[in-house]
Amino acid sequence: MSTAVSVRGLRMSYGTAEVLRGVDLEIRQGEIFTLLGPNGAGKTTTIEILEGFRKRSAGEVSVLGTDPDKGTDAWRARLGIVLQNWRDHARWGVRELIVHLSEFYDRPHDPDELLAAVGLTEQGGQQIARLSGGQRRRLDVALGIVGRPELLFLDEPTTGFDPEARREFHRLIEKLAADDGMTVLLTTHDLVEAEKLAHRTAILAGGRITVCGTPAELAQAVQAPSRVRWVEDDREQVVTTPDPSRTAWELHRRFDGPVPGLEIRRPSLEESYLELVGRNA
Amino acid sequence: MNAKALRIGIKRGWTEHTHLLKTRKELVGTLLGTVGVFAALTLWMGDSVIEGTGVSRLTFLMVGFLAYTVFGTALMTLPMALVADREEGTLLRLRTIPGGILAYLAGRATTALCQIAVQSALIVATGVLLGGAPLPHDWLTLAWVLLLGTVATVPLGAAIGSVLPSKNAVGIATLPMIALMFTSGVFFPATIMPEALQWIAQTFPLYWQGLGLRAAFLPDTMLAAEIAGSWRLPYVAAVLAAWTAAGMLLAPPLIRRVTRRESGSRLAARQLAAQRS
Repeated sequence: MSTAVSVRGLRMSYGTAEVLRGVDLEIRQGEIFTLLGPNGAGKTTTIEILEGFRKRSAGEVSVLGTDPDKGTDAWRARLGIVLQNWRDHARWGVRELIVHLSEFYDRPHDPDELLAAVGLTEQGGQQIARLSGGQRRRLDVALGIVGRPELLFLDEPTTGFDPEARREFHRLIEKLAADDGMTVLLTTHDLVEAEKLAHRTAILAGGRITVCGTPAELAQAVQAPSRVRWVEDDREQVVTTPDPSRTAWELHRRFDGPVPGLEIRRPSLEESYLELVGRNA
Repeated sequence: MNAKALRIGIKRGWTEHTHLLKTRKELVGTLLGTVGVFAALTLWMGDSVIEGTGVSRLTFLMVGFLAYTVFGTALMTLPMALVADREEGTLLRLRTIPGGILAYLAGRATTALCQIAVQSALIVATGVLLGGAPLPHDWLTLAWVLLLGTVATVPLGAAIGSVLPSKNAVGIATLPMIALMFTSGVFFPATIMPEALQWIAQTFPLYWQGLGLRAAFLPDTMLAAEIAGSWRLPYVAAVLAAWTAAGMLLAPPLIRRVTRRESGSRLAARQLAAQRS
């Protein structure tokens, strides 16, 4: 499988503040890849460097075989970009804008098929200003993919969605990636979203990639220590350990029978992630 | 790629123009505002004549409004639209598209041309039908002055729109424009101004635009009110051409700079700031 995005030692500073301190990434063609991290971790900065919107301080970056700082129009035509909070073209009609933007590309999607794919057929004649938040975001995705991009960037696409809208949105992205073999790079601060949607996820914290892998590898890598509690000498005892089973076994041998008040708590993936992020902030 | 982007841009400009015509606020504010004020003035002035010339005061005013329309559309409406497009992310959206920025600029210029054409036609129609003003006696001069005046100011407007930091700054930027409007001899003769002001006015395109338009509409009996007592058409052409060149040199780097600086995080920060205030 060939590589869509390759990043080596990416650094970015704003004045004296160092936002990215050596990011390495490898995104394969056709995969859905999420960049996961808390707000302010540098996700948007990273994605803007890849999109060619921001000049990096140092490092090697290749997006579809091109350095984004030297990206031409022909290169740009192979990218789709969906940003956060877009409010542009409010006076335009939904279908009108899709048709207009499709004209820039050589091999665009059919506007009506696209409207159907994002579930906006009924809103086609409506003014964009009148769309709901979720509809607006789906329109943004339609506009992002209208030129049949090979690589789609989605920056925090489901912020502010209710669970149902979020589920629908995930289905849409999965379908688009599967149908067109499009590579998708998505940023999110929501671990559950990354786990649900991504083939692979990288966690960006403290300006570096701390973990990168499949959901299962991710779960293993971030797993925070478990807490084992029991009662001994009339007092509650607590131990944190990466191997709670061994601790319990040792306790049972020491007590030579049942351990009073024994309780093992394995943190959830979400809690583990938050701990990891907290450590690196 | 460039020819295609230009073609899409012109179409885009036309679409935006039809959107403006459909938006009541815009229609009242920009179109009917100027034309409406002129219509009211037309009725109020009646057919009073400037002594010793046989020219109605209204004709002089009509030509002034015509010059002001070009000036106001290119140097106030256009920069405001640019700033709004930047704040709403329209500029950024087109930056994500191959050839998008070129199409965007072609679109904005087309919209400005449409606005100028519609308003000019309405002003002349109002003056002629409502106030009995004469049609121009020199259509050729009217055509090239209007066109060159537009070409001279639209790139400048784009440059101004690229430099203004926010919508709030647009208000401040219009103050010198209004000062210029009163000193440039479009609403009353420049010759009644102190000589220093006359010199300042003559460095800007509005004065020459107005002079060229007066040459097309007014008889030579009005020359007494002009600086140097002449229509000075070669100067009109030269100064407007110089401003065109200046605008063409100035606008592209400024526009490139402002579009290069646009990014998602900048847009988000601006929207956050707008929500807080």
